[in-house]
Amino acid sequence: MNRITVETLLQDLASRGLNGEKISEQQIKVFASKDNFVNHLHYLQTIGFEHLANINGVDYIAENEFEVVYQVYSYEHKIHIVFKVRIPREKPVILTVVTLWEQAQFYEQEVHEFYGIYFEGNKDLSHLFLENWNDLPPLRKDFNTEEFSEKLFGSKRHGGGK
Amino acid sequence: MFNINSLEQQDNQDKLWDKVINYFRKRSLWMLHYCTGCGAMELPPVMTSRWDMERFGIGPMATPRQADILLITGYSSVRTMKRIIRTYEQMPEPKWVLAFGSCTVNGGMYWDSYNVINNLGEYIPVDITIAGCMPRPEAILDSMLKLMDMIQAGEAKAFRKYKENYAYYKANQDRLFMERGPVLESAALRYVHEETEGGEA
Ligand code: SF4
Repeated sequence: MNRITVETLLQDLASRGLNGEKISEQQIKVFASKDNFVNHLHYLQTIGFEHLANINGVDYIAENEFEVVYQVYSYEHKIHIVFKVRIPREKPVILTVVTLWEQAQFYEQEVHEFYGIYFEGNKDLSHLFLENWNDLPPLRKDFNTEEFSEKLFGSKRHGGGK
Repeated sequence: MFNINSLEQQDNQDKLWDKVINYFRKRSLWMLHYCTGCGAMELPPVMTSRWDMERFGIGPMATPRQADILLITGYSSVRTMKRIIRTYEQMPEPKWVLAFGSCTVNGGMYWDSYNVINNLGEYIPVDITIAGCMPRPEAILDSMLKLMDMIQAGEAKAFRKYKENYAYYKANQDRLFMERGPVLESAALRYVHEETEGGEA
């Protein structure tokens, strides 16, 4: 396969209806819609982007949206793609990518645990880290961690001093 | 025959024995370090040749069943707290707890975190807390010398506090571990997913 560069990759993706931006010689970011992003990820996988390094969540509370970020890397082309998908905050549901990458299981579990994003098709979204948790997912911006800590652990501002 | 003098003698003898026992106890301490937080970084130099805690008769121990000191380095999450309590309860008496770093006193820089306990002393009895973020190896050695003094003087008795005030500690522990409802009202904002096609919610 021909060596893909950042420019040719961006062109290729643009022809498939994905707009992206160059970040550096080895890094691009692309924005996909939640309806067909799995197809795009699958395509990327077939052209050599075999490594899913991580899945992150971002809470854009002002825009009332969550962003799910897939970090995809190719050892062959040495290019890192930051693949972003936005979903509405009221109904944070997105398709799972476990079918493409097995390791996505844990990443999705983690994102579900900390943002409450629901991955449709993932069979096990149980908690990995939190114990006995019944509150809002803690990394959401509308979760008040100070108040929580105060109520459960008895924390005090400035260690109880002035 | 009842003899007040012999009772007093017995008393004195016991005290003497305590002194002797305490003396040997403090010279042979095995430490279990439960490295939960970043401060664990300071332990390798304390144990190895740079500061060498072995010259005080303190050695690392791999199992709680044979350990005398439990050293907890820094913040502990609810999850680790469970392990800490279990470890502590497995240790045979007499046992001592050193709480290391600001995080064990009032949460340190994680004071408002959603998953880190604030005051370790609420869940298990602590003999000595070492303030600092993170404390220098000298501070650790200092606390150990202090602990040895306290053992010699018979003052290091936090483990008795655990038995006497068990209800207090247990109540605090239960607050973390027992089934509970949401802590904040905002929990109502949670999104609950319902499968549309025939599955259960
Ligand atoms: S006291 Fe400081 S060094 Fe120790 S665990 Fe807390 S943040 Fe880390």
